[in-house]
Amino acid sequence: MILRTLIRNTNLLISTLLILSLFSFVLAFLFPGDPLENLSGLTNLSEQEYERVFLAYGFDQSYVTQFWIYLNKLFEGDWGLSFASGIPLWQELSLALPASIELSIYSLFVSLMIGIPLGFWAGFKYHKPADYSLLAISVVSYSLPIFWLALILILIFSLSLGWLPLSGRVSLLFDIPEVSGFMFVDIFNSEIDNKNAAYISALKHLIMPTLSLTIITAAIIFRLTRRSFIDVMSSQYIKTAYTRGLSHTQVILRHGVRNTLLPILPLFAMQSAVLLTNAMIVEFVYSWPGVGNWLIQAISQRDYPAIRAGMLAVSSLVIVVTIMTDVSAKLINPALVGENHAEN
Amino acid sequence: MRRIDFYEDDLYPSPLKHTWQEFQKSHIAVLGMWILAFFIVLIVVGPFVMPFDPLLQNPNAVLLSPSWEGSGSLQYILGTDSLGRDLLSRLVYGCRMTLGISLLLVMIAMMLGVALGATAGMAKGVRSSILNHLLDSLMAIPTLLIAIVIVAILGVGLVNSMWAIALALVPQFVHNTREFVRNEMNKEYILASKLDGARKLHLFFYCILPNMFELLVVQCTMALSIAILDISALGFLGLGAQPPSPELGAMLSEALKVAYKAPWSIALPGLAIFLMVLSINIVGDGLRAALRNRLTQ
Repeated sequence: MILRTLIRNTNLLISTLLILSLFSFVLAFLFPGDPLENLSGLTNLSEQEYERVFLAYGFDQSYVTQFWIYLNKLFEGDWGLSFASGIPLWQELSLALPASIELSIYSLFVSLMIGIPLGFWAGFKYHKPADYSLLAISVVSYSLPIFWLALILILIFSLSLGWLPLSGRVSLLFDIPEVSGFMFVDIFNSEIDNKNAAYISALKHLIMPTLSLTIITAAIIFRLTRRSFIDVMSSQYIKTAYTRGLSHTQVILRHGVRNTLLPILPLFAMQSAVLLTNAMIVEFVYSWPGVGNWLIQAISQRDYPAIRAGMLAVSSLVIVVTIMTDVSAKLINPALVGENHAEN
Repeated sequence: MRRIDFYEDDLYPSPLKHTWQEFQKSHIAVLGMWILAFFIVLIVVGPFVMPFDPLLQNPNAVLLSPSWEGSGSLQYILGTDSLGRDLLSRLVYGCRMTLGISLLLVMIAMMLGVALGATAGMAKGVRSSILNHLLDSLMAIPTLLIAIVIVAILGVGLVNSMWAIALALVPQFVHNTREFVRNEMNKEYILASKLDGARKLHLFFYCILPNMFELLVVQCTMALSIAILDISALGFLGLGAQPPSPELGAMLSEALKVAYKAPWSIALPGLAIFLMVLSINIVGDGLRAALRNRLTQ
C-alpha cells in the first residue's frame, strides 16, 4: 500500500516535471523573437557563432531531438543566459530560489506556531466570545491584500517609527559573499569581523516580510484547524470516548488533537503554494532578492529566457512541495489513500 | 424551521428561503451584505455623482491632503495625488474597474467551469481520469501564480491579465462542479429521471443545477474575492492595468513614489480593496454557515 502510494506519486511527479519542461521548451517558440535566442539567451551573434549555437541546440534536427537536447542541458545546469544581465540563469536562480524558500519557511513556521494553537483554542471555546473575536480577526486578516499590508507595515515601522529597515536582506555595510543563498548560513561561513551585528541586521530585515506573510497564512491555518477541531469534537467517537468515562483533557489529548490535525495536513500542501505566491509579492515590495521579485522584473523587461527559466523553477518547486506534502500526509494517514482517485 | 400562521398550517420554507432565513440570523453577515451592496450601488451610480474626471489633472492642487487635515480643501474631499487628480473620484472609478472586472471574470469563469465540470462529472473512463489528474495538479497551484504565468506568455496589460485571471479561476469551478455532479448522478432522483428518458442535458439543467445553485453562489463569492485580490495584485506589480488607469492596484503602485509625502494615497485605495474583499468574505462565510445549518437540520 505504502509502496503503491510512493510509486504512484513518483510517477505523477516525474510526468508533471516532464510536462513542465516541455511547456517551458514550447514557450521559447511562443514568445516573440527567435526561438533560438529565447532558448539560449545569446543575442547579437555573428553568423559563425549563430551557426554553432544552432547546431548545439539541434535546430537542424526534429523537434523531438531538440527537446531531448534541451532536457539534457537543463540537467547539466545550462539554462541559458539572461537577456537583461547576461549572467547564466541557473546561477541567478540558485541564488534567488533559496532567498524565497528562506522567507517562506520562516513564515510558514511562525504561522503554524500561531495558527494551530489558536485554532484549538477557538474550537475549544466554540460559539463563545473568545471564538467569535478570534474568528473576526482571522476574517479581517485574510481579507487583507498582501501588497497593501506590506506597504502599511513599511509606512508604520520604517517611515514613521524608523524601527526597521525598508528593504533588502541585510545592511549594505556588510559584504557577505552569496554562496548558499541562505542568509544566515552565508553569514556563518563568511569571514567578516562583526558577525553578530550582521545576524541582527539580517534578522531586522526579515521581520517585516515574515510578518506580512504570517498575518495572512496564520489566519488561514487558524480557520482550517478550528473547523476541523469542531467537526472532530462533534463526531460519534468523541461521544463514545466521553461515555467511557474519560476526562475532558484525556479525550482531547488522545482523540481530539490527532484526528484534528490529520485531515488538514494535505490542505497545508495547498497553503505552501499560496504562501510562495504571496512571498513573490512581498519580495517585490521589500526588494527581497528572491525568485518572485526576479521573475516580475523579467516579465516587465521582456527577458524571455529568464521568464522561461523562472517559471520552470517556480512551478517545479510548487509541484515538488505539493506532491511531497501530499505523500507524507498519505503515509501518516492511510485513510487518505485512494480518496482522490477513488473512482478509478 | 417551522412557523405557525394564522390558520395554524405548518409552514415549510423552500430550501432557498430556508438558507436566506439562516443567513439573516447572523447580523455580521447581513452587515457584510450591506457593505457589498453599497459597493455595487457605487459602481453603478458612481460616475454620475462624482465631481471630477478620474484622469483630470489640476497642476494647482498637487498632493493636497484630505479635507479634514490642515492643508486640505473641501473641493477635494479625500485630497489629490501627485498629478493633482481627485482621489475620491479615482477611488470610485477604481472600485468600478476592479469590482466590475472581477464580477465579469467570475461570471466567465463560472460558465466555463460549470460546463466543463458537468461534462467531466457525467463522463466515465479514460477521458475523465485524465481530466481529473490534470485538475488535481492545477488545483494545487494558486490562481495568482497561474495568472502570472499566463501574463508572462501573453504580455503585460489589463486585457491580458483579465484573460489570465479568468482562466486561472476556471479549475476550481470545474473541480467543485465535477464532484457535485458525480455525487448527484448516483442518487435516486436522477435515476428516476433517467428512467423517464431524460437526456444528459435535461438531467443537468432541470435536476442537478437547481440543487447546485447555492453551492455555486458560495463558490462565486470565493472566486470573487480571489479575483479582486489577483487583479489588483497584478496591477500593483505592473503586470495588469497600467497607470494612469484608475485600477486600485495600479493606483497603489503609482502612489509608492510619494509614499513619504502622501501616505493617504496609499492607505485609501488599499482600504477600498480590503473593504470589498472583507465584505465578500463575510457574505461567503455567512452563506456557507447558513447552508451548513440548513443541511444539518
